[in-house]
Amino acid sequence: MTNMKRILPLLIGTLLSVSAFAQDFTYGDVSSQELDMKKYDKDTSAHAVFLNEYGTTHINFDNDYNVKLTFRYHARIKFFDNKEFERQGTFEIPTYSSGDNDHYEEVQDVKGTTYFKDDNGNVQKEELDKKNIFITRNSKHWSTVKFALPGLRKGCVIEVSYNLVSPYLFDFHSWDFQDDIPKVTSTYEVHIPGFWFYNAMLKGYLKLTRNTSNVERACMTYGASSMGATGISADCSDIVYGMDNIPAFIEEDFMTSKKNYLSAISFQLAERTDLNTGAKIKLTREWKDIDKLLKDDYGFGSQLKRTSLLKDRVTPVIAGKTDELAKAKAIYYYINHNIKWDEQNNALSEDGIKQALDKHTGNSGDINLALVSALNAGGIRAEAVLLSTRAHGNITRLYPNLDDFNYVVAKADIGDKSYLLDATDPMLPFGMLPMRCLNDQGRAFSLDKPSDWVDLNTAQRQTTTYNFDLTLLQTDGKLKGTIKRFSVGYDAYLKRKEIKKFNSTDEYVEHVEQALGKVKILKSDIQNLDSLDMPLEESYDVEVSLYNNMNHDKLAFNPVLMDQVKTNPFKLSERDYPVDWGMPSDERYIITIHVPDQYTIENPPQNVSFGLPNQGGRFLTDYQSEGNTFTFSYVTQFNKSVYSAEEYPYLKELYNKIILAEKNEMVFKKKG
Amino acid sequence: MRILLFFCLLLAGGAAMAQNSYDASLIPRDLLPYAGAVVRSEEITTEVKSPDNVIYHVKRAVTILNKNGDAEANLAVFYDKTTSVRSLKGAIYDEFGKATQKISPGDFEDLAATDGFSLFVDDRVKHYTRAVTQYPYTIEFEYEVKTRQSFYFHDWMPNPRSGVAVEKSSYQFICDPGFNLRYKEINLPSKAETGTNKDGKKTCTWTINHLKARRDEPFSPEWNSLAARLMLAPEKFEDQNFSGSFTNWQQLGKWINDHFLADREDLPPATVEHVKELTAGITDPKQKAKKIFEYMQQKTHYISVQVGIGGFRPFPASEVDNDGYGDCKALVNYTKALLKAVGIDSYYCMVEAGEDYKVSFVSDFASLNQGNHIILCVPFKTDTLWSDCTSQTIPFGYLGAFTDDRVVLACTPEGGKLLRTPRYSAADNLEKRKADFVLNDAGAISGDIETEFRGIDYDDRRRIIGESQPDRVKDIKKYYPINNMDIKVLEYKQDKSILPVTFETLKLSARDYGASNNGKLYFLLNPVDRYTEYGIPKLVRNRQNPVYINRGWTEEDEISYALPKGYQLDSDPLNISIEKPFGSFTATMSVNGDKLIYTRKLQVKDGTYSKDMYQDVVDFYQAVADADNYNVVLAKN
Repeated sequence: MTNMKRILPLLIGTLLSVSAFAQDFTYGDVSSQELDMKKYDKDTSAHAVFLNEYGTTHINFDNDYNVKLTFRYHARIKFFDNKEFERQGTFEIPTYSSGDNDHYEEVQDVKGTTYFKDDNGNVQKEELDKKNIFITRNSKHWSTVKFALPGLRKGCVIEVSYNLVSPYLFDFHSWDFQDDIPKVTSTYEVHIPGFWFYNAMLKGYLKLTRNTSNVERACMTYGASSMGATGISADCSDIVYGMDNIPAFIEEDFMTSKKNYLSAISFQLAERTDLNTGAKIKLTREWKDIDKLLKDDYGFGSQLKRTSLLKDRVTPVIAGKTDELAKAKAIYYYINHNIKWDEQNNALSEDGIKQALDKHTGNSGDINLALVSALNAGGIRAEAVLLSTRAHGNITRLYPNLDDFNYVVAKADIGDKSYLLDATDPMLPFGMLPMRCLNDQGRAFSLDKPSDWVDLNTAQRQTTTYNFDLTLLQTDGKLKGTIKRFSVGYDAYLKRKEIKKFNSTDEYVEHVEQALGKVKILKSDIQNLDSLDMPLEESYDVEVSLYNNMNHDKLAFNPVLMDQVKTNPFKLSERDYPVDWGMPSDERYIITIHVPDQYTIENPPQNVSFGLPNQGGRFLTDYQSEGNTFTFSYVTQFNKSVYSAEEYPYLKELYNKIILAEKNEMVFKKKG
Repeated sequence: MRILLFFCLLLAGGAAMAQNSYDASLIPRDLLPYAGAVVRSEEITTEVKSPDNVIYHVKRAVTILNKNGDAEANLAVFYDKTTSVRSLKGAIYDEFGKATQKISPGDFEDLAATDGFSLFVDDRVKHYTRAVTQYPYTIEFEYEVKTRQSFYFHDWMPNPRSGVAVEKSSYQFICDPGFNLRYKEINLPSKAETGTNKDGKKTCTWTINHLKARRDEPFSPEWNSLAARLMLAPEKFEDQNFSGSFTNWQQLGKWINDHFLADREDLPPATVEHVKELTAGITDPKQKAKKIFEYMQQKTHYISVQVGIGGFRPFPASEVDNDGYGDCKALVNYTKALLKAVGIDSYYCMVEAGEDYKVSFVSDFASLNQGNHIILCVPFKTDTLWSDCTSQTIPFGYLGAFTDDRVVLACTPEGGKLLRTPRYSAADNLEKRKADFVLNDAGAISGDIETEFRGIDYDDRRRIIGESQPDRVKDIKKYYPINNMDIKVLEYKQDKSILPVTFETLKLSARDYGASNNGKLYFLLNPVDRYTEYGIPKLVRNRQNPVYINRGWTEEDEISYALPKGYQLDSDPLNISIEKPFGSFTATMSVNGDKLIYTRKLQVKDGTYSKDMYQDVVDFYQAVADADNYNVVLAKN
């Protein structure tokens, strides 16, 4: 056995300031004052509030010297009325089991009590009955322990505590400081022997109000025996993270994952000590460690090496093609059509790409790793880009963490250009990623060079252009002409998806006609529906019955016949979190109107120009006339993917300007 | 008899021979329109070996033609403590009918059958989802389930949903000669063939061939009323715990009362005392019942726990009294017990709940698998009141859209009674609004909106009322199509009487409601409940189904605008009036000095109308949307 001194320096990397030891609050000492509380002064609209919440995680040996993580949860919640009974009065604890009977998480010592005052003002309590704790086996690995507190009533206080014991040291319990209801105080205390080293990461917009730590000398010993062996021992860090007066979390529209904004702390195992040798073992602390790990992983590196498996399949697909781009496209569409996505996000292949190819179904890892291998088999330089989907949250930049990734796409390098490819959706053209993937950066891996970051959302844009050419007919008071809509980039993808929801394009055109209201479609034409790399072009010959005859001195109508913006997507007066649209966009209308000779425009519109700060975008309108022909154009551009909360008022005002401009009717009057 | 038997065997033999031809091109052409999937052959047998041993065997092959048929390639086989899955397998065939893959039991996921709202359910499910990229293909399943109960049998519905055609489907019920099966055939073209099989058992067989796919059409009646369906029920049943017999609702209701309810009403003496005290001064029995109901509401909340027979039987009242929670059965039973403690009788009622359709119990066919919810009925001398006990906020005596206007089964000590829950008519479901605005020459409006919600509409603002004030102010902006809304006042009041009313008071201002340009001012006349093109039902050519409107309602608006000085109307005033059998719409506007008055009344009447009326429905909504989007033009003098 080695000397303990070698292990001592491996203390938690946070700045340690020794202070008084924090302590969990006492179970059961609910005060009369707490029961009498009528509202929470800091948020009088709250239906319930956490009076106190305290969690601890310890690492200990069990009786058989197996290392266990013990997470203890303890909370006291006050209910002002009955609105939160279901959400906050019912508890669900998911547990994992490896399925081998030796490794599983276990919920122990569940306690629950409801306190209330009876009609005589005496404090009464009801205890959670053990028979009302239910365990549901959801699937092979996952179970849920569920219980509901008994006897909830207006004004009551509940208290709950339980232990979750786990053998999975890499899965250190994270802690959410913020919830849908406010908290008076929330504390997380972790107790970690120096045998293990975890990186801690704080997320969200709130700051810790308490952060202290203590060192407990030689708190854990391994290998000591009555025979005189001293074994090795380590000091423990006891670190307390606390927040007070935590407001309720309120979700806003156009946000990425709630997880990115909710205040929470999480931990990642970075280093452990071999208890028999005392050697410290680094765990995935640098990218080169991750690179190595992935390279050797069955679900990743092993699959990328399977080029020979794909060679036979790819050869006929690219036969006769000489240029690399054409080859890459053929391979992309081949994988796209041969493996159906099972809607599961995964950064790795689950059962190997062979099975996915044979069964014609797989997760995002199966499909896109098959794509990378197929591209490489076809002689095209390709890498796998791991990423985190928008719903999955942001990636930690402080240190490498494999758990951050839940998806993988392919990156093909052709000439001096790179293309990001996702073969999970047959409607996605070559080189375009679906919205779920547009989340900051991804990490590109290949078998022969170090991994590196790549931007995910630089190449993409959504663009729609409307081109109307309308003639007001003298004879019958009808407006006749052509409406064209060109959808480019991501808009083309979205439009194709929309069209494909209908059984036929005729049904889609019927739907368009219906949305146009009084406008009748005489003839329609849709180009490039299946040519995914091309803009989608819709062209409609239309007729609008505006007037029964032309015996009018004035003719007024709104020329924005299609997709007029009527409501502002931004309704809040201010916003706490950024607006995240995933990609820049632009939209333009060019409307040309021909009127009969004897008419002229009565209200030439004022040109509008409104810009967002820092060249973030703009809205402008332009009006031109030439003889009896009048041209109006409206241009909206958003140049950024993400707008900060400070830019929010400008975004909102820009939409207001669009709505006002598009609301205007054009009035033509008979020349005097 | 003999001839009939021979005939049956021949049929069965024919089916057995045909079953391997899953070539997609052999599907009769006239089954293809509107079909995403075609059931090629389906054979279901239910064999009652003994009252506690029932075998349910299914063999089904479906050809999936396109993406819209994908749902038919999934299989979910449910089981629990009384039901076990004895065998489970399948195979996949390509478009030419060649077998390409076997499906073994290991390919099924074994999951808890969580319903998403229960704390605990002991049902489990074996689930298979198939992802095939090439259409068409055929998927065949064969499985057998054994259940230890014969209280009820599953319906047979050869055509489970729209978009599915059926080439051939059959259902056979096998039982001892002494077993009395009751059944009801609904929309079934063929009658039962009865016979005896080689083991001397009685058989009853239904066969259906060549059912075309039905299309999804808006405003259609409930699928159950359109589709072919067989309902089955035993006359006698027994297992370890229960036995009984019934042939009508009277007997079934009595049986449920005696076996599931009779011994579940005991309350702790302290609670009995408490509710007696609580109602001591009240003489009007209705007021007494209301007091008890409100006591129950503040004391309990809804949590569903479904264990074994608990799926039918409520937890005892004393347990609810202690825990403060329960599911619909437990809460109704508890309320009934509380009412009984103060001398008021009430009924435990089974109902098929759902907002989209009002489904009634089938009056001439009693069976245990109708209904999915329990409500309370309190009969008084002059009238009868109904309540849902699972909501902590619903007024006493008010049912709402979940259980209104349908036939339910009241289980009473005298026996079962079929009763109808109250109907809320088109006039009852009223959203009545009065608004006064001031419009300035920059296009800003400010003013008040007062709204009353009655009938089913009483519940329209439930979600927002449940929120905190900051959330309410945030969310109310989604209810009104006014941009740049600045909320000054937002208040709700609720009159929780038997005919309840919700009152909403809103004071607001909004800049740029109107747009001004070169001396003109444009604004949309209807700022409150505007229909848009998205509210118009889609066009349907060659409609098959009658037009069905599940629930009627009325919207009444009276809105005034004080116009800015120096402006006058520069567009033709809106004036429209439409009267149709299924509804009416009037909208008028008039300008008097600087005052513009706009009135609007939209009424849609519930009922079933001829399919030819559908185009009128589309035109009606189009006209409403057009009028609702009327743009007022004002010009400066």
